[in-house]
Amino acid sequence: MATRELLIAPHRFAVGYHRQRYWNWLIGTAFFLGGLGGGLFLVSLLTGHVAGMIAGFLIVVVGKNSAHMLFLGRPERFLAAARRPDRSWIARGIWAMGVFMATGFISILLQAHAPWIHLSKSAANINFGVAAACAVFIAGYDGFVMRSSAGLAFWRTLLLPLLLFMYASLGGITLSLTIRDLRGEIPPAGLEALEHGLLVANLFLLAIYFYRMSRSLPAARETLREWLRGTYARAFFGLVLLVGLAATLLLSILHANVHSPVLVVLIAGCELTGDFTVMMLMLKSGLFAPLAAPSYRRGDAI
Amino acid sequence: MARLGMVIDLKRCIGCNACTLACKQENGTPEGISFSRVITEEVGTYPNSTRTFLPTLCNHCSDAPCAAVCPTGATYIRPDGIVMVDHNMCIGCRACNLACPYMNRHYIEHGLLEHGYNSEGISPMEAIKFADFDEGTNIKCTLCAHRVDQGLEPACVVTCPTDARIFGDWEEEDGKLQRLVKERKGWTLLPEYETKPNVYYLDA
Repeated sequence: MATRELLIAPHRFAVGYHRQRYWNWLIGTAFFLGGLGGGLFLVSLLTGHVAGMIAGFLIVVVGKNSAHMLFLGRPERFLAAARRPDRSWIARGIWAMGVFMATGFISILLQAHAPWIHLSKSAANINFGVAAACAVFIAGYDGFVMRSSAGLAFWRTLLLPLLLFMYASLGGITLSLTIRDLRGEIPPAGLEALEHGLLVANLFLLAIYFYRMSRSLPAARETLREWLRGTYARAFFGLVLLVGLAATLLLSILHANVHSPVLVVLIAGCELTGDFTVMMLMLKSGLFAPLAAPSYRRGDAI
Repeated sequence: MARLGMVIDLKRCIGCNACTLACKQENGTPEGISFSRVITEEVGTYPNSTRTFLPTLCNHCSDAPCAAVCPTGATYIRPDGIVMVDHNMCIGCRACNLACPYMNRHYIEHGLLEHGYNSEGISPMEAIKFADFDEGTNIKCTLCAHRVDQGLEPACVVTCPTDARIFGDWEEEDGKLQRLVKERKGWTLLPEYETKPNVYYLDA
């Protein structure tokens, strides 16, 4: 009886794992910007910070949407993607984006006390609530879009939307702190502590994610092997763990004693590098399972 | 209600790829896109070596994940169970490509229909066949729906020289498909993905 170790297949007519090549860096950028912008808008809305709200709104509306449009094969038909919100997370995302663009814009005007917009207090609160809910949705729904990609075992877990939302929140808080610092504003109490907490929480969440995948389908286990010991190990340990989590945490602790704009930009750069790398690794490392007879997969084909 | 599908007998398959070519000819798919393909590998070391063949096509799953994730409804399941794509509704988001664990969805990149298999541009046949496709959208095996609608069998089935591909209706009581799978313990690809494929295999 022969035992078989299936490798990455060189082409579609060969047995082995196949890398997903359908979603590229453009969709990764769209997901990253959606998380970052949604997180920043939410944090800024909750802390009443207009500059952060504007930045978050623009990152989502201009950045995320542009990347999506550049990625689509037929962008002129994009509105058709709103047809099936009953079953598609992409469709739900389009609806949420539409509502976010309207309520988010009104929220910015209200927060900035624009003289030509008047809403009653209850209407304004409802608008803030809807905008915040949409920001949460936009920061997290891409994880559900990826999770519904049933062909890729490494994505088929509820931990993925949670992980991406946690990273979105972390990115939002980091960018919010950076904008406030560069503008000479004092951040609300507890925001920096929340950033530190999220950095540690994300590390634990990654560990839980890996543990879950180590007990999942073979394609998920192979993907995990690629993250920890294979093609993506350097990027994971170097950029995600060392730069994205460890360096960000150490530098932000240092920032409590040393106030320097360079340090603030460095913290943001480190965190966003880790955030973006996680997203790109998730996309690039997706593996399709080998297609083979059960006897062959067991290893007794010969 | 019909539920069309196929049984592939691996004992009969000789790995000649006639099904791959018949599909190419029937559907005129662009370069690099094959709705039907035979996954081949040599296993073992001489003298204890052999080759394994696994002919594949769209499984026309009853719980088709590609149809479930499609945001526009471009991918749909016909009443007879064939999973189809309306390319006029497809936006090219490629969610279906990632949803299909069997990699039987194919995206037509921009520029792909501007050249054929020959270096001298597009042949008259390609010009006719390519008119059915749309750049920036997805295509897939239709189980030769245009032939099935005329009472014919799919091109890969009629071409197979060893009758390894058996086409039929799963809803037929004690039909040939049900009988074969029952008698020879048929199996499907990647059952752990729970897509309820309508293409079954019989062991070699």
